[in-house]
Amino acid sequence: MKKNIFVCLYLWYGGLLAQNLTDFDNQVENPSSNFMDKTEFRAGYYGNFYWNPGLTFGAEYLWKEKVRTKEKKRRTKIITKQWLLNGTFGVSWDPRTELGVFTNYGILWRRTNTKGKQINIQFNPLGFYRAFLPETYEVSGDNVDKVFLPGRNYYAPSISFGLGKLRKGKKLTGRYLNITYMLRTPYNANSLPSFAIEYGYRFNFKKKRKYAKDDL
Amino acid sequence: MQKMIYNPVKTVLFLLSFLFVLSCAKEDIGDLSDTLYVRHKGADMPAHIYGNALEKVFLIILHGGPGGDGLVYRSGTIKSKIEKSCAVVYFDQRGSGMSQGRYSEDGISVDIMVKDVLALVKVIRHKYGNDSRFFLMGHSWGGTLGTAVMLKNQDAFKGWIEVDGAHDAKGLYFEYPNNFRRVANEQIAVDNNTSYWEGVKDKIDGLDTTTYTDDDFYSMNREAFTAEQKLADDKVVNKIDKDIQRELAVNAIFKNNLLTVLWNSGNTQSILVRDQGIFENLSYADRLNEITIPSLVLWGKYDMVVPPKFAQDAFDDLGATSKELVIFENSGHSPMLVEPDLFAKEVIDFINEYK
Repeated sequence: MKKNIFVCLYLWYGGLLAQNLTDFDNQVENPSSNFMDKTEFRAGYYGNFYWNPGLTFGAEYLWKEKVRTKEKKRRTKIITKQWLLNGTFGVSWDPRTELGVFTNYGILWRRTNTKGKQINIQFNPLGFYRAFLPETYEVSGDNVDKVFLPGRNYYAPSISFGLGKLRKGKKLTGRYLNITYMLRTPYNANSLPSFAIEYGYRFNFKKKRKYAKDDL
Repeated sequence: MQKMIYNPVKTVLFLLSFLFVLSCAKEDIGDLSDTLYVRHKGADMPAHIYGNALEKVFLIILHGGPGGDGLVYRSGTIKSKIEKSCAVVYFDQRGSGMSQGRYSEDGISVDIMVKDVLALVKVIRHKYGNDSRFFLMGHSWGGTLGTAVMLKNQDAFKGWIEVDGAHDAKGLYFEYPNNFRRVANEQIAVDNNTSYWEGVKDKIDGLDTTTYTDDDFYSMNREAFTAEQKLADDKVVNKIDKDIQRELAVNAIFKNNLLTVLWNSGNTQSILVRDQGIFENLSYADRLNEITIPSLVLWGKYDMVVPPKFAQDAFDDLGATSKELVIFENSGHSPMLVEPDLFAKEVIDFINEYK
């Protein structure tokens, strides 16, 4: 059953990407094809309590972008919608019991309005979570053996919803606040859902390269 | 930009170092503060060991629930007094607390959980020496599991302490109505919360208490906790001291991941209660005479959750020649929280006598 779900997710995800590829011709604006220009990085806090903290680092590659401009009486309204490929690496820590290391990959939809306010919706069907446990002993019959690098691996897809702010002209190009739902499965006899808050900043290397050119 | 990248890296390294330092265990045998995991039959179960292990005497606490967690007991005099006289092992059972692993729903059963406890004993012996000595304490559902452990291998332990334990889980359903009526009549007679207790009697009268159902069981179980609160309001039983309340809150929120604990609790309880029918079918009442090691039975006089009838049954039926029954006059289901000094004294005296 779980295998089928995984296959369905994969097919759905593949279909989504294929759809994006198909729509690529329709995009209104795609200023640069340079990989670094289309990639932003982010780093932030990740945790479901402040005493259950963690950190995430990620990269977002601009897959598709549509910019809609509307002339209003007093101002011009610009709405940007982006599809980005997303990859995240993170750590989270539970006091005394585990250090979790996870990575996930998926797609991110972002809408940015004229004022730079953003809505982010992220779906990461490909996720992996490794729980590193402290000193662990395995018991089998009368044998007790200390486990080397004890821990558990989980399939861990996630979805996020959040708000953000574009910071034009700043080194840190944006900030975001997301609520993330991650499922760790199989976990015990079932699965373990978890909610986390992510707060962080995005940055890229575009400006550095531009300034470097200017300096020349 | 370089500075910008460098700073987060430094911050991350600092935070990771900080976290690892915090998670390091203190290995002072006289004041142990250790967390280890027991991997057994697909589950990784944490055991938090605190206290004085100089004499290698370990008191293993089996939590309630099913689906509770071990660290919730690390408060009051268990922490401040019992940990001074021996090492206390706060164990998260399979599918409970911060336990994790991978197994099917058939992978949780009383039989497997019994073997988990015996696996824990083997691990502690392996780490702290074969001369380690063990006492087992089970509270509430832990009394069910602990009794099952005793019946499987009591030779691994120096003594058994049952605290308001459900060794006769099946009998609870049929004893609830008697206990509610008895306490309700008592309280109405002294004019305590009359309307509430009249309501309880009406509620019980409205239930079919001759045939077990999960819904009615949980209805009475929830009412039992409410009833104990009413008894506390009327000062029939003691209230939990504010310091202990604070410790309970800290343990629940800061020592564990509360969301994980709650989620695990719901799942495990569902499997054991709804699917396997432990409160419908499970009873060790007829086998208590097989337990012959020194036993201590501790019970709150006003325990509404596991009525005190079971305390007398346990004392009468246990096969041990060295056994003692202590009724806490001002307690409900958790005497360790509301009469903590007497509780610690009884436990320490028992351990000192039989270690």
